[in-house]
Amino acid sequence: MTLFHFFNCAALTFGPHAVYYQATPLSEYDTVGSCIRAALVYLGTTLIKLVCLATFLHGTESEGFDFTQEILKALIGFLDVAGLYFALTQLTYRNISQTHKFQAIGLGWAFADSLVHRLAPLWVGARGLEFTWDYLLKGLESNANLVFTVCLAALGSLMWLRKNKPATLVPIIYASAGLVATMPSITSYLRKGLHWDFSKVVGFELAASLAMAFVTWRLFSACQRPS
Amino acid sequence: MRRMMAKKGSDRMVVVSMQAVVALLCVVAAYIEICDAAAVVDVYRMIQYDFQGTPFGSRRAVVNHHASSGLSVPGSDLSRTIVILPIDKVNVTLLNEYLQSRKMLGGLLLILPRNFENGGKSSGESDSEDSDGDQPADVAALEQWLIHNNIPYPVYFAYSDERIDSVLKDVQLNDAAGRPATASTGGYKLVVPVSDAKKVPSASYTNIQGWLWGLKGDGDIAGLPTIAIVASYDTFGAAPALAVGSDSNGSGVVALLELARLFSRLYANSKTRAPYNLLFGLTSGGPFNYNGTARWLRGFDQRVRENIDYALCLNSIGDADNLRMHVSKPPENPFIKQIYDNIADVARDVGVTVEIKHKKINISNSRVAWEHEQFSRHRITAATLSGLETAPSFLDRVGGIADRRYSANDTVVARNIKIVAESLAKHIYGLEGKNIEVFADGSSLAVSPPYVKLWLDLLSRTPRVAPFLGKNAPIIAAIQKELAVHTKDVSLQHDNLDGTFLFYDTIKAQLSIYQVASVTFDLFIMLAVGSYLGILFLVLVITTKGFDDLVGAFRRPPSRKLKGN
Repeated sequence: MTLFHFFNCAALTFGPHAVYYQATPLSEYDTVGSCIRAALVYLGTTLIKLVCLATFLHGTESEGFDFTQEILKALIGFLDVAGLYFALTQLTYRNISQTHKFQAIGLGWAFADSLVHRLAPLWVGARGLEFTWDYLLKGLESNANLVFTVCLAALGSLMWLRKNKPATLVPIIYASAGLVATMPSITSYLRKGLHWDFSKVVGFELAASLAMAFVTWRLFSACQRPS
Repeated sequence: MRRMMAKKGSDRMVVVSMQAVVALLCVVAAYIEICDAAAVVDVYRMIQYDFQGTPFGSRRAVVNHHASSGLSVPGSDLSRTIVILPIDKVNVTLLNEYLQSRKMLGGLLLILPRNFENGGKSSGESDSEDSDGDQPADVAALEQWLIHNNIPYPVYFAYSDERIDSVLKDVQLNDAAGRPATASTGGYKLVVPVSDAKKVPSASYTNIQGWLWGLKGDGDIAGLPTIAIVASYDTFGAAPALAVGSDSNGSGVVALLELARLFSRLYANSKTRAPYNLLFGLTSGGPFNYNGTARWLRGFDQRVRENIDYALCLNSIGDADNLRMHVSKPPENPFIKQIYDNIADVARDVGVTVEIKHKKINISNSRVAWEHEQFSRHRITAATLSGLETAPSFLDRVGGIADRRYSANDTVVARNIKIVAESLAKHIYGLEGKNIEVFADGSSLAVSPPYVKLWLDLLSRTPRVAPFLGKNAPIIAAIQKELAVHTKDVSLQHDNLDGTFLFYDTIKAQLSIYQVASVTFDLFIMLAVGSYLGILFLVLVITTKGFDDLVGAFRRPPSRKLKGN
């Protein structure tokens, strides 16, 4: 029965990635390779991030929201952007259109993130007898995270790969990218600084991810038009 | 680890090492202890024993059931339910009917009130209108019922606390609302993850003895008459881990230790040493027909046994206002009369009446109700001084779960110690009829109330069911050490209980209380997640490939062929 719950949570956590791959043209162009490369880059980035966190942050024994620590964390979190930059620009892919490239990279990135951050806690926690909403909420959070990652990858591809974009949109693109990149710090502030409920935080994340998806979509299509 | 692997060289290597890592992760995952219960509480399992081959007590230990708050909750499958009952609300008749009709119960969790140690009385506030005074009697009745029945389901005791109270309140509300906890509705699940109880291989017991040697005349000290002061120190109760027996027979043990202390001061000086040897014996096996006492007596040299002038057994002297002297020889017997007169005289001075109670021994009956009967069987004059009026029945009044600290009153114990000490002193110093107080209050030989209190406190904290004590129990070492301070030639006698009794282990465990979701809920979640993913799929297909492709997606093979052509 509890294994049942584990499978439910796992489906909610990892299902959207598979659905995304299957439902969009990504599957038709066989972009698994790109996804795996992005995942490997993610793993490397995370390793560097871990080293940085271990070096620059002192142990967080307190549960509270420490401002300087969080700033440092946010700065280290920007390594993700660097990793995405590397994945988007430095790696060579078999001819794959730009639209699919960022999607594949975002998907691989988000999937690796979910796998690393959520599978083990899920396996340990959701199989327990005690029922909590936490793992279902974490599954929803994983959904929001997927949207955020794809948004960031899309904005990144706009920033670094598209040359002829309307000049008026550039600051908006950069601002949106910055907002998405600082999202982990924002949620961390909501949780620790304002002591929000986990359910409320997840709700916020879902709403924010939808909003960012909309903004990114508008920006992307706006940039698409002139070309 | 995975990340490090990923960064390393060749793909082959990565694949191989990834497999190893995955295998390792699987092994680790399988062994991770899952413990995220809403509450984990200490529980005390009911006794499980065989008497003459007949099984008694609770025969099972494992609990993994939903919780319910009563035997008559409509709609709950009681054979798969553990019933939580506060011990003062238990209806023994109802339980008995249930047991006799051979209906199965998943288990029974009996909640002891928070102020159980004080008997629900002296908790300060007057919040105990439903539990004043008669509660211990009810618990004792329940305990007797539990002990003397073969109960085919697990029974546990737990102390009430905030978590248990809140769980019980929830369960009661759910039951009252007609939503009993089952697999299909969810609710609280109680788990005691133990393996089934195993037999205690050798139920050992330990007798402790110490001597105060009398004044040497010409002959050797062993030739002097001996007076034995005896108390059995072990207990038996519905829950072995809760059977501390403050009155039965903690009070007797305390009295014996204090007597040893008082007389050791007199015997330390050769001028005040009487021509009597004093033998102090703390015997085990008391609840089991004074099995240990019998072995102890058999272990003595014939000459030593014959020199025992009389034996005075102390039993449950911590509560009753008046004392009784139980004897198995007729009260007209001169030896008995002498002992009785001695004690009654002293008792009268402090306003206590001592009644003599005669009960003949039936040699053919294996039941031994009083400790002195074991002495009588060896033709040693003996009497039991007790607060009890009549001989207790088998396994009754032997320090059950209701017999706690409040059942032994310090002042009563101290007063009784003084009566015994005074009468003993009058006898061994030949002061009968003289108005001399040897252990006068305020003198250096007075009974020490702090000493009495301290030992009563210690004994009231220490469960002493012999088969679960073992040979090296701290309480045995403590008593031995204390006796060695005051008396000479302290020795321990280990033996095994005879085979009529067989005990099973697991007397303590941990109960985890989980709040579980129902299967229905899980199914609902599955449907919700499934439809979410389905809708997501449709939306993504429509937005990225257009509606035509969606239709095409369901006819993929033909559409592929078309493309190929």
